[in-house]
Amino acid sequence: MSSEYIITLLKPMLEGAQTTILLFIIAIVLSIPLGFLLTLAVNSKVKILSYLAHGYIYVMRGTPLLLQLLFICFGLPMIPGVGEYLVLDRFVAATLGFVLNYAAYFAEIFRGGLLSIDKGQYEASKVLGMTKWQSLTRIIVPQMIRIALPAVANESITLVKDTALLYAVAVPELLHFAQTAVNRDFTIVPFFIAAIIYLVMTLVLSLFFKYLERKFKFE
Amino acid sequence: MPIISVSNLKKSYGELDVLKGISLDINKNDVVAIIGPSGSGKSTLLRSLIHLEEIDGGTIQINDESLVEKGIYAKPQEIKQITSKMGMVFQHFDLFPHLTVSGNLEIAPKLAKKEPMSKIKARSEELLEKVGLTKWKNAYPANLSGGQKQRVAIARALMMEPEILLFDEPTSALDPELTGEVLEVMKNLAKEKMTMVVVTHEMGFAQEVATKAIFMDNGEVVESGNAKALFENPQFDRTKAFLKRSLK
Repeated sequence: MSSEYIITLLKPMLEGAQTTILLFIIAIVLSIPLGFLLTLAVNSKVKILSYLAHGYIYVMRGTPLLLQLLFICFGLPMIPGVGEYLVLDRFVAATLGFVLNYAAYFAEIFRGGLLSIDKGQYEASKVLGMTKWQSLTRIIVPQMIRIALPAVANESITLVKDTALLYAVAVPELLHFAQTAVNRDFTIVPFFIAAIIYLVMTLVLSLFFKYLERKFKFE
Repeated sequence: MPIISVSNLKKSYGELDVLKGISLDINKNDVVAIIGPSGSGKSTLLRSLIHLEEIDGGTIQINDESLVEKGIYAKPQEIKQITSKMGMVFQHFDLFPHLTVSGNLEIAPKLAKKEPMSKIKARSEELLEKVGLTKWKNAYPANLSGGQKQRVAIARALMMEPEILLFDEPTSALDPELTGEVLEVMKNLAKEKMTMVVVTHEMGFAQEVATKAIFMDNGEVVESGNAKALFENPQFDRTKAFLKRSLK
């Protein structure tokens, strides 16, 4: 196995990894805030909002992500009447699917974080004259982040690996290029290279979250 | 004119009446000890004063302004303004664990009063000195003992410059050897004529520091008045029985 061969393999695979990373970043950046809004909706005193959010989370967690991706990429355009307006760029459609799906998981993680915050924290901020918004943003959320961090880290690492589902909706990414090379050259080396690239990405992510956990230790 | 005036306060959780028509007056500079067995409604009463509990009927006036009048609450903005005259210290301290000791003291004046930072800093230094925790100003609550935490909580309440300080069993969660340092801080506040309402099981403190005592049992005020008189010469059998149990 020549190093030249590996270098020629690496080029498309690293390009594929760029797609993977881009999807990851967009999905994380959008699904975390959306997930938090869902948590607020679940906890809302407005019953209808709470029911809707519960229903949304139930559906998104209760069906396979792959099904959701296929539905957005191939199902939406088939809806009679409006379908023709719902033909999205494949990458955009898949990203949308990841954001909508992961938001539901993050919502549950944040809800768990909020549940473990003592009601004394709300009471103390109230008697000190803070508004509900101030207490939420300055007292509750920072503590929720600390509690949710390990679960968010876990979910983020899952997301890195789930990006391989792009393969199923024919958006070329890391795994796609590996599989192509395996078929073409009849060697399993590309699989190993893909595995190493995924491991590097998840390692960087793990280290980043370890750093955040230290930063949010409050001791 | 009383600084806190409560009349016919009623509160129930479903079928259970926890406060059955409480009436009491507290004057400026009073140190009031509310005593009584567990489940007698003392904490609920205290929490009602600062609107942590909604009452079902009766009147609460603070400084002659009605927080709630015959069961009808004031507008949210008025409630906020009326309760802002009071500070509260909780049994479990309820410090903000993600903020340092100074952070705990400074956040409320910064957000709720919007005072200039220099003024806030000066006051927090002064109060930390007063509760003997200057050295600990950059520590996080997780690194403090229970007694230190409660002293921080008292300083945090004082940062808002309240006219009345409410204490909900401030030493009940502490190891016995740590109650002294907290009671010491409270005694000093009493000497400075802070108006204080203290729900407590510390009979020694109640006898020594309180000017007025209220004995509650089963959602009612059984007996109230001069603290010394109540402890030395209780009028009612229920009070006598409780004091006998608590003072041995």
